[in-house]
Amino acid sequence: MSSKVSRRQFLSYSLMGVGGFMVSAAVMPMIRFAVDPVLQAKSDGDFIATSQKADELTDVPVRVDFTIKDRKDAWYKSDVSNTAWVYKEGDQVIALSPVCKHLGCTVNWEGDNHKNEFFCPCHAGRYEKNGKNVPGTPPLGPLDEYQVQVVDGYVHLGKTVPNTLV
Amino acid sequence: MNWTGKDMDTYLQQKEYIDTLVIPLIKVEPTLDKMKTSGSTAEFTMLLASMIETQFKGRMMFAPPFSYTASTSIEKMKNDLLNDFKESPFKHIFYLTTDPAWVSSADNGQVIWLPSIPLEHMDIQLRQTILEDQLRQVLPKFTEKWASA
Repeated sequence: MSSKVSRRQFLSYSLMGVGGFMVSAAVMPMIRFAVDPVLQAKSDGDFIATSQKADELTDVPVRVDFTIKDRKDAWYKSDVSNTAWVYKEGDQVIALSPVCKHLGCTVNWEGDNHKNEFFCPCHAGRYEKNGKNVPGTPPLGPLDEYQVQVVDGYVHLGKTVPNTLV
Repeated sequence: MNWTGKDMDTYLQQKEYIDTLVIPLIKVEPTLDKMKTSGSTAEFTMLLASMIETQFKGRMMFAPPFSYTASTSIEKMKNDLLNDFKESPFKHIFYLTTDPAWVSSADNGQVIWLPSIPLEHMDIQLRQTILEDQLRQVLPKFTEKWASA
């Protein structure tokens, strides 16, 4: 007798089944949207490959040019040329941004005969090798640093971050 | 600095540091046989200008390029520009051009003339190197003028 499903039971089971299915159809996407940011793969695309080999670096900063392809500035798409001063401190690769902290000119290594310093030709700003601004010259802060990764022996550069060496 | 609203804000705050104005001059020649050179020249001038701008952002303001055509009297345009820009707060004013007609013995280092190099078929790396060479050539002209004043 108990193995028999009554008409009433059958109806309530099937209603529950269909109802549950419909509710889940509405709720599942909501859950998916809610957890989506967590599932998002971290994009590695922020790092740009340069042609500089890591083991060819010395403790003397060299100029490394790299290009950010297809950067979008509102509707305007362009390739942006960028530069970094890269050197090795022990085993660590250090890349400094060449943008002067005074008014944004480009600094040069040992420009205008300033030994072992970065020099800004605009208003004679000077920085030590680790980017520390020389007091008494116009810049008010140290040079920014690039995030660095070494991938397959080549230096990859990421975003600029405030100087961590000073 | 470029001639834009945002850069102008920075300029107005930092007037004492930005004492140089550079005016690119571009000759536009819309006849079939000269269009190609004209385009290539304009490209070269503007790319070089933007390169100098990156290098000397904190000391130079770049005016929008001034264009003219074949029948423009260079002499008159030059005098007009000189007169009008005399009022400006800039201490040094330079003209950047590839047109030899602007060069005269009387201009006292203000006209920076360079031969145009066609860049359109070069890959970015080579173009960058060539522009850098050009930049290195004009650099002393700026610093000389800065040092003399």
